[in-house]
Amino acid sequence: MLLTLDLNDARPLHEQVASAIRRAIGEGSYRTGDRLPPARDLAVAMGINPNTVLRALRDLRDEGLLEFRRGRGVSVAGRADGRALLTQRARELLEEARRYGYSRDDLITILEDLT
Amino acid sequence: MRSRVIAGVWWLLVAAALLLAPLALRDRLPDPMATHWGTTGSVPDGSSSLTGFVITIQVIWAGLWVLFFLLGRQARVRRPARMTFSACVFGTGVLMLSVAASTLSVNLDAATWRDALLPAWHIPVALAATAATMALAAYLVSEPADDPRAESQARPQLRLNPGQRAVWVSRVVNPWLTVAMFGALVVTVVTVALASTGAAGDPVRVILPLAVILLLAGLVSMAVSVRVRDDLITIGFGPLGWPARRIPLSKVESAWSEQRQPGEVGGWGFRGLPGNATIMLRGGECLVLGYRSGGRLAISVDDAERGASLINALIAERVQP
Repeated sequence: MLLTLDLNDARPLHEQVASAIRRAIGEGSYRTGDRLPPARDLAVAMGINPNTVLRALRDLRDEGLLEFRRGRGVSVAGRADGRALLTQRARELLEEARRYGYSRDDLITILEDLT
Repeated sequence: MRSRVIAGVWWLLVAAALLLAPLALRDRLPDPMATHWGTTGSVPDGSSSLTGFVITIQVIWAGLWVLFFLLGRQARVRRPARMTFSACVFGTGVLMLSVAASTLSVNLDAATWRDALLPAWHIPVALAATAATMALAAYLVSEPADDPRAESQARPQLRLNPGQRAVWVSRVVNPWLTVAMFGALVVTVVTVALASTGAAGDPVRVILPLAVILLLAGLVSMAVSVRVRDDLITIGFGPLGWPARRIPLSKVESAWSEQRQPGEVGGWGFRGLPGNATIMLRGGECLVLGYRSGGRLAISVDDAERGASLINALIAERVQP
């Protein structure tokens, strides 16, 4: 599982971790029913507290993306929630737009021109 | 194709020899004949009828031949697999022939099976003949070498954005090794219990070290996890990820993913020699690390392509800025 964290992201860490896991699943590295690496492995790899990872995993379970099963660990339950994934992509798009000097309104204009 | 025909002809030849030799000598063998010698020395401790002996060696030979044939089936094209397959098939054939020859020669003209004493030199000679055959059989198929171009495939590389931190985690668990580990655990607990209550006999003392070795091997090889982070690749063994091996990225030249089967690398577990080793828990996708020193390390792990792309990206970013 490839996880990318943005060092300039101001959101709480568990939300960032949830985003990273959602993106990894959305990119197709894990399919429905596949088991995720243990939270401890993820925490050590990212250098963060295991509780933060567990909180992110619980958020994703509440979203319906993950499934917790006793003795089987955490597995992918279904497709990522479309809205959550889109929100995430839009946030990334907004950040990229700001890097090129475009404001939020500019981005909205670009989106409106697309239709 | 040719190797299969040769292996099939070899099976027939050995099977025919194992069948015809006992039948030809039938009149000079005691009934029952000695077929098993204990650890104590040359005195036989087991016997069987001629029919039983013939059926047993035929079944063992056919079973081993089929096993090697199936294990070698997927990748006999590649050199290590081809050499392993050839060594196993011909080596076991010679071992079966030596065992049968030794058994028949000591039984020959013996009054009863208890008089069939096994000279001490039979076992080392049989083992030496087997080892020599394996070496020769492997040597004879060692040409041609694998095409090196097949290995120099594209190295995947991830695009890293500035201000991003990327890590990769993967893990693979072999359910069969897990089951074997639990089996070894049960055997160990039972033998320890028997030994501590004093109810144990000799067999228990033999089984206990084997069970402990199997248990430790199973514990270490039932699961493997790989982490790529900053400038370090960590390979954790066993369910706890400990012991772990840490490889600094500065030692690695590039990484890629490759399909490898247990039959190609010599089985499950830790295979090969340092410099060209494979940590094989299941056949299929493997992450291969190419060291700057020219060595290789392959780890059977899921999602290897993505891991390799991150390793290559991190090498490009950190080690060769």
